[in-house]
Amino acid sequence: MLNPLGSEQEAFRFLVWVAVVVGVLTAIVLVVRAVS
Amino acid sequence: MESASIAADVAHDDDHHGPPAPNVSSRVEAQFLGMLLFIISEVMLFGAFFTAYFFIRVVNGDQWFPVHGDELPKLIAGFNTAVLISSSFTMHWALEGARNENRNAMRVGLLTTFLLGLTFLTVQVNEYVHLGFAPHDHAQGTIFYGLTGLHGAHVFVGLTLLSFATIRAFRGHFTPKEHRGVEVPGIYWHFVDVMWIFVYSTVYLL
Repeated sequence: MLNPLGSEQEAFRFLVWVAVVVGVLTAIVLVVRAVS
Repeated sequence: MESASIAADVAHDDDHHGPPAPNVSSRVEAQFLGMLLFIISEVMLFGAFFTAYFFIRVVNGDQWFPVHGDELPKLIAGFNTAVLISSSFTMHWALEGARNENRNAMRVGLLTTFLLGLTFLTVQVNEYVHLGFAPHDHAQGTIFYGLTGLHGAHVFVGLTLLSFATIRAFRGHFTPKEHRGVEVPGIYWHFVDVMWIFVYSTVYLL
């Protein structure tokens, strides 16, 4: 389990995950809004 | 004589005055626990501001930007997002430098992170100057300045911590074994980055 407060390395990996997940979700929402 | 000395030691233990030694957890270091508790409180603080945002957008169903002809500069903020995310990579580079005894990488990494953070804040202040609406103009403006301003204040705190770390790095501090002064500000900096991703995607994009 990734603990972003365990070390800077884990915090960095967590950031990359959040960036990817938020990016994908935002893209989905924008595409759905554009289509509908 | 020796036995008398041992007896004196025992008597000394029994004679111990003052508060007991503090309990130190073997599972989590005090520095990380402190940062953990601090970040939990920060998440709650941001949560309160996001509540206001979702209240007017979801509960009230009010129009989000553009409002009364006022628009948000998505592109400039997008550029700022790229700047801030890049600064997390340079921060990570600095920590790897500290870990691998690459002092130049650590120094340049910290300095670059600081400068990128400063660029972010400068661009944001410039954005505020040119927006054309004030916090008291409408509820949307209040929430926009509230959320981005709260985040900006966190960037300022992060920059203060980074300046300490950078100055210490240039003065020869930090070793592969002892570099907590780089690591803990790094965790805070990544937290500020994660928060900006949420702020940017909700306030500017959605």
